[in-house]
Amino acid sequence: MKKHYLLLGFLLVLLPLQFLVAQSRSIKGTVTDANKEGLIGVTVSIKGTTVGTVTDENGNYSITIGSGNDILVFSYVGFISQEIATGSQTVVNVTLDEDVQNLSEVVVVGYGTQKKSQLAGAISSVNAEDIMALPVTNARQALQGRAAGVDVVQAGSKPGSGPQIRIRGRRSFNATNNPLYVVDGIPLSDGIDDINPQDILSMEILKDASATAIYGARGANGVVIVSTRRGAAGKTVVSFDTYVGMNQSLGNIKVFDGPAFAEYKRESRRAIGQYPLGQATEADDAKIFEPVEMESIKLGRSTDYVNGMLQDGMIQSHQLGVSGGSEKTTFNITGNFFQDIGVVKKQDFTRYTFRVNLDHQINKSLKLGLSTLFVNSARNGENFNPLGGALAENPLGKPYDDAGNLIFLPTSDGLRTNPFAEIVEGAQMDLGNRFRIFNSIYGEWQIAKGLKYRVNFGPDFTVTRTGRFTGAFTNSQRGGVATGAVEDRFTLNYTVENILTYDKKFGSSHNFNFTALQSFQKDRLETSGISVSGIPAETQLYHSLGSASLITGASTNLSEWALLSYMGRINYDFREKYLLTATVRADGSSRFGTNNRFGIFPSVAVGWNIARESFMEELSFVETLKLRASYGAIGNQAINPYQTQALLGRTSYAYDNTAGFGYRPNTIGNPDLRWETSTTSNLGLDFSLFAGRISGSAEYYNTVTTDLLAPQPLPTSTGFGGFITNVGSTQNKGVELTLSTVNIDKGGFTWETDLVFNKNKEAILELANGKVDDIAAGRFIGQPLTVFFDYKKLGIWQTNEADQAKIFGDKVGQIKVEDFNKDGKINADDRQILGSAVPNFAAGLTNRFSYKGIDFSFFIFARIGQMIRSRYHLDQNKLAGRYNNIAVDYWTPSNPTNAFPQPVVTQEFPKYDNSLAYFDGSFVKVRNINIGYNLPKSVVAKLKMESLRFFSSIQQPLIFSQYITKYQGVDPETWADGEQGVGGGEVSGSVSPAIRTITIGLNAKF
Amino acid sequence: MKTMQKKNKYSAGIFLIFLLSTTSCGDLLQEDVISAIGNDYLNTPAGINDGVNAAYSSVRIWYGTEAGNNFTVFGTDTHTNGADGSWKFMNFYDSQFDSRNGHVLDVWNEFYRGINTCNAVIDRSVNVKGMPEATLKQRVAEAKFIRAHNYFILTQLFGGVDLRLKETVAPTKEVTRSTVQAQYAAIIKDLTEAIPDLEAKAKATLYGKATRPAAEHLLGKVYLTKSTSEAKASDDLAKAIPLFQNVINNYGIKLLPDFGLVHQQGNEINDEVIWSVQYTRDPLTNGGGNNAHVFFLMEYDIQPGMQRDVANGRPFKRYRPTTYTIDVVFKDKENDSRYKKTFKDLYLSNKPGTYNTSFDGSKTKVTFAAGDTCIFLPGYEMPIAERATKKYQVLVPSRYDERLFPSVSKHIDGGRIDRTQFEGGRDYIAFRLADTYLMLAEAQLLSGSKDAATATINVLRRRAAFPGKQAAMEITAAQLNLEFIIEERERELIGEQMRWFDLKRWGILVERVQKYNPQGAPNIKPFHVLRPIPQVQIDRVTGNASAFPQNPGY
Repeated sequence: MKKHYLLLGFLLVLLPLQFLVAQSRSIKGTVTDANKEGLIGVTVSIKGTTVGTVTDENGNYSITIGSGNDILVFSYVGFISQEIATGSQTVVNVTLDEDVQNLSEVVVVGYGTQKKSQLAGAISSVNAEDIMALPVTNARQALQGRAAGVDVVQAGSKPGSGPQIRIRGRRSFNATNNPLYVVDGIPLSDGIDDINPQDILSMEILKDASATAIYGARGANGVVIVSTRRGAAGKTVVSFDTYVGMNQSLGNIKVFDGPAFAEYKRESRRAIGQYPLGQATEADDAKIFEPVEMESIKLGRSTDYVNGMLQDGMIQSHQLGVSGGSEKTTFNITGNFFQDIGVVKKQDFTRYTFRVNLDHQINKSLKLGLSTLFVNSARNGENFNPLGGALAENPLGKPYDDAGNLIFLPTSDGLRTNPFAEIVEGAQMDLGNRFRIFNSIYGEWQIAKGLKYRVNFGPDFTVTRTGRFTGAFTNSQRGGVATGAVEDRFTLNYTVENILTYDKKFGSSHNFNFTALQSFQKDRLETSGISVSGIPAETQLYHSLGSASLITGASTNLSEWALLSYMGRINYDFREKYLLTATVRADGSSRFGTNNRFGIFPSVAVGWNIARESFMEELSFVETLKLRASYGAIGNQAINPYQTQALLGRTSYAYDNTAGFGYRPNTIGNPDLRWETSTTSNLGLDFSLFAGRISGSAEYYNTVTTDLLAPQPLPTSTGFGGFITNVGSTQNKGVELTLSTVNIDKGGFTWETDLVFNKNKEAILELANGKVDDIAAGRFIGQPLTVFFDYKKLGIWQTNEADQAKIFGDKVGQIKVEDFNKDGKINADDRQILGSAVPNFAAGLTNRFSYKGIDFSFFIFARIGQMIRSRYHLDQNKLAGRYNNIAVDYWTPSNPTNAFPQPVVTQEFPKYDNSLAYFDGSFVKVRNINIGYNLPKSVVAKLKMESLRFFSSIQQPLIFSQYITKYQGVDPETWADGEQGVGGGEVSGSVSPAIRTITIGLNAKF
Repeated sequence: MKTMQKKNKYSAGIFLIFLLSTTSCGDLLQEDVISAIGNDYLNTPAGINDGVNAAYSSVRIWYGTEAGNNFTVFGTDTHTNGADGSWKFMNFYDSQFDSRNGHVLDVWNEFYRGINTCNAVIDRSVNVKGMPEATLKQRVAEAKFIRAHNYFILTQLFGGVDLRLKETVAPTKEVTRSTVQAQYAAIIKDLTEAIPDLEAKAKATLYGKATRPAAEHLLGKVYLTKSTSEAKASDDLAKAIPLFQNVINNYGIKLLPDFGLVHQQGNEINDEVIWSVQYTRDPLTNGGGNNAHVFFLMEYDIQPGMQRDVANGRPFKRYRPTTYTIDVVFKDKENDSRYKKTFKDLYLSNKPGTYNTSFDGSKTKVTFAAGDTCIFLPGYEMPIAERATKKYQVLVPSRYDERLFPSVSKHIDGGRIDRTQFEGGRDYIAFRLADTYLMLAEAQLLSGSKDAATATINVLRRRAAFPGKQAAMEITAAQLNLEFIIEERERELIGEQMRWFDLKRWGILVERVQKYNPQGAPNIKPFHVLRPIPQVQIDRVTGNASAFPQNPGY
């Protein structure tokens, strides 16, 4: 105990705690639950003071009170608190009732909370238990498969990279499809991944118009409300949560080994008669292989460069938290260290977070509080992608000389430098540092009964710094000079919100709640950067750019935006039986022209708690049966600032050595630009049967988005590539299902199952010219927003098809693509829609088992029907007999396969090679298997602890996918939209391999 | 309690301040452009100057770039493909060369951005206040020069294109293809109007700007090209001749005494240059740089005794001279210095040591000290016995392949920061007086003045001679015919981004490729005299291909 008071030392300085001098009168007693079992760890405190104690392992307590006027407060998580006037008693025994209306029954909605039974909108929740169950690296990951309608995908394992989230599909071509994140009431402009997932109490995902309309112009892609943990009055709790794990690569795509490469190289020459057919001979080899290759062939030497780039990674998180407080002041303070060391060398991510959440009741009517987050993170290797080069490296080269020194050019090929040179210490540096202070400060004033005024102020400061250094002996410099660059970004974002709420009950049946909001948010981003080449000493990295011989770029930029909003909401219910929520929000955005600055977004939702009707009384097994319907319009403003304006672009030229910088028309501007509007109707059913043994909800929705903010391509002969305008419409229709069942609950053994399922159909309804495809932009009526539109491979031209191949200008051994329009020639008109990166459906299944403190769970995630574009089949599949190639079954006259074309030394890449890259990306993954053990309370109490849990998990133990089993591919999970240098729906060597992570950890509370 | 009340009021006051601070300002949503510059800037004198600067930068997409070179060097009679690069299909003329070709799009886009910039300058010059009239006129003339220049190249590549002579001020997808006749009419009008307002000097005050001789040289070339096009008129040659003569006679532009000096590094500004596209050593003004230094070079850098260095260049091995080039065009290596001065025939060892020979079978081992002759290309089939006496490897024509061949050395750039730097800093000489002479000779010959043509061409022939061989280099009128000019132009101008246009002008592109370019021969068809219109353009036009038709064959 002493120990954790020491830990609290700094806190005591911060908090103006009053210590009362006790007048000696002692009260004892036992706290039990309904089954008369003693409750351990119940907080017993004297109301209005910080004096308190906790019950022991038998539920006994003893406390010294001041006077008979003191009131004892008994509080325990999951139970209803009780207050008992002491009077003259010396023994106070208490039985606490379980709180059936516990936390999960209250849902955070925008600008307030609502009882779940009174809710008419479509909202999914993910609670702390789910988040803590996995060693997730960021908050977004915790949503995967947990909430219906939320599609979360992660591409690869690069440390520090986050998943992509789409709620109910995509609506917008150009404006973002990312949801809005609201943390402790403050809408984030950027950087949800700065939030330490272990600080999160709950995440609510607002999905339908009724729920999101209160965020008006930013609600169209859904809203994720993140609430962080706050302190509770009572005993101070110190918690320590930790886990450590190992990351293992699930492997990369296979390339040829030495002998296979040699044969492939010979074949590429045979194709044009530069190598004789039949058995290879040393004499013939000598004509096409260089000495080092010959030596390797002779020695049977083959270098696996990819493997040399990989290592076993490591993940760890350690968190110390203190929370507690008095009646007046509560606090929750946490510090966390998180580190993820990737499986690709030189890639890692380290994050330190420190959070202080504080609430203080000034007096009966005034309350204030804050939550402050400090983050400092460092990310190495965000843009470091050495695998592509390693995959392409000739395995017959020699990476090290006999003394063990690295050979920079393992073969004489001037373009190929030793991939191992990329990971030499000091050869490259790519470090992103991030510093952020995010605050949410509030004041609350209870003006009169039912009438409350609240102000939220959210200043958010972010500084990021990216430093890059590329030494001479790297593939990009090839022995030239070292280059370096830094970029700094300073963001100040602040939000001020004034919220007025009024609660009123008329008679016994009519409940009203009225919320009014005025809010202003402003964002200012300044960037500055410089890049140089000719850094004199490589040891300087990018820390002395001024001493470089040449400045190759210098830039600064300022970008600002502001949003001014007004919102009103009425909640009404009649005996919690008939529910109505109506909202209207008006948003004014600086991003739009003066004509269209303000957009108005109304919505309405109704609910009917059928289970509360008298005619349902006979069906006593039905606890909840609620039908909901909502309709409304929400906006999307997420285009970059300054798009309405016609701007000039900078050009550079020189007259001899006199600089001749110029300006020319760059954007055409569009002063009539306005909001993109999504109109959503939603029908939902919530149910809970047989005392909660079966519960869940079903949703059907239909969203039509009009006035799309879309870059409208122009014929480039106009001098412009396009402009942003409001055109066309898209639709997302879908169903979502959430089902939770308690399958077994007997003799201390429980088995629970959660299933979430969602199916979304994304379709373009109209484009600029109505229901007409826009081939130039790759958009097609009735298809998802992005599709793969390309030639379709039919096979390989076989020897007996030579004449036919010739008609199409092709040769035997080349790819045969479909003459889609049957006009006897292959040209751009023969491209067709092959598929899209959008899945047909996604589902998550969680099974939890528990028995006497042991819990076991596993989580299966499936995403079915999407297509992927495998860049490996393009970038590492040139089939030209020069670079190493993925180990494909290529055509030769004696191997008349239809899989891959013939290697030919004179081709830079196979004709129509794009058609080789499309695969079914469906997968089923066992996302994790988790096992935990909670020590019995009696044991824990002996350790002077409140609870202690050990756990172990395996993340991603199994992946089932045709791309892996049939095509020797890798994990097909990837983003639907292009991100971080990887195109939409693509898997590539720029993505770090998928990993399996095995962790062990513990959660302890004192 | 009193303090509480005070606190209460105080807090309420803070809340009120928040309220006021957010509601009182009416212009909270005003969007001010600070980092960027608004479009109205072009209506000012400074804006006009900057607009013209921007127009010049558009020509950099063509000169010294991979696109400009692939369009003019590949698929001709004098160069075929080397080992590397993704663009060999432009030499093969096979079906991969289609409307999605990246080069046609890059050139199309950037030339049109330049044209729109010129249109903006020309349109807005009418209302500019506060600029001296002569300066304003000169700026407009420069804009017309660039506009005509860009349209001239587009017309040669694509035929009739979208002839836009007004700034695009509102988005439109209603565009159509004009005719070759209309294109030439607009180009000639622009240049004719520009000539009087441009500086009548050999070198512009601000070096690199368009001058009167530059516009005359270009207009002469336009007429010469037009004279064989579908827009031809009977007086085209007659109009071209005096323009060429003006350039030769009136401005002090003169041939350098030594052909070798014309492309000597460091001598980019010389008396023979009429107009050059500007590149610098400063990355801030150099854009993508002059990249021509990489494309012509053979793979010297993995040969025994050699390694890649800045002086010898970064060999992309894209363009390999055809047998016709070596054996016919540059047949005379005795009197004519241009083979020696055009092709790099000597490599000095920069990686001393003893090595097995790689291509010269006349010996098995070679040993070099630094600076020793390492590779020599005599340009003829030196007998093996003679080769055996040399201490270095001799690369003879029978051993040429896609990696080893004589490299055009005109663009080698030893001034780059390191051996990897792609962005070269040498000016690209776009118009030079030797070309003017050759075009004058061609116009004279075709209009029947054979003697004058012979005299004109002999000026160049004498300059090209090795010392003392001037007389041997001269030709007689009897020797002069079009075939002679076809060869002579390449002796003088090989690798200077002209050949494809020349062959097209003479109407012999297809037959010459079939005859001399074995890689392009099987596939080239008559329709290949036009390049494919970018698919992106066609797809974006209202009405697509019915409104903006593709060139036949693509």
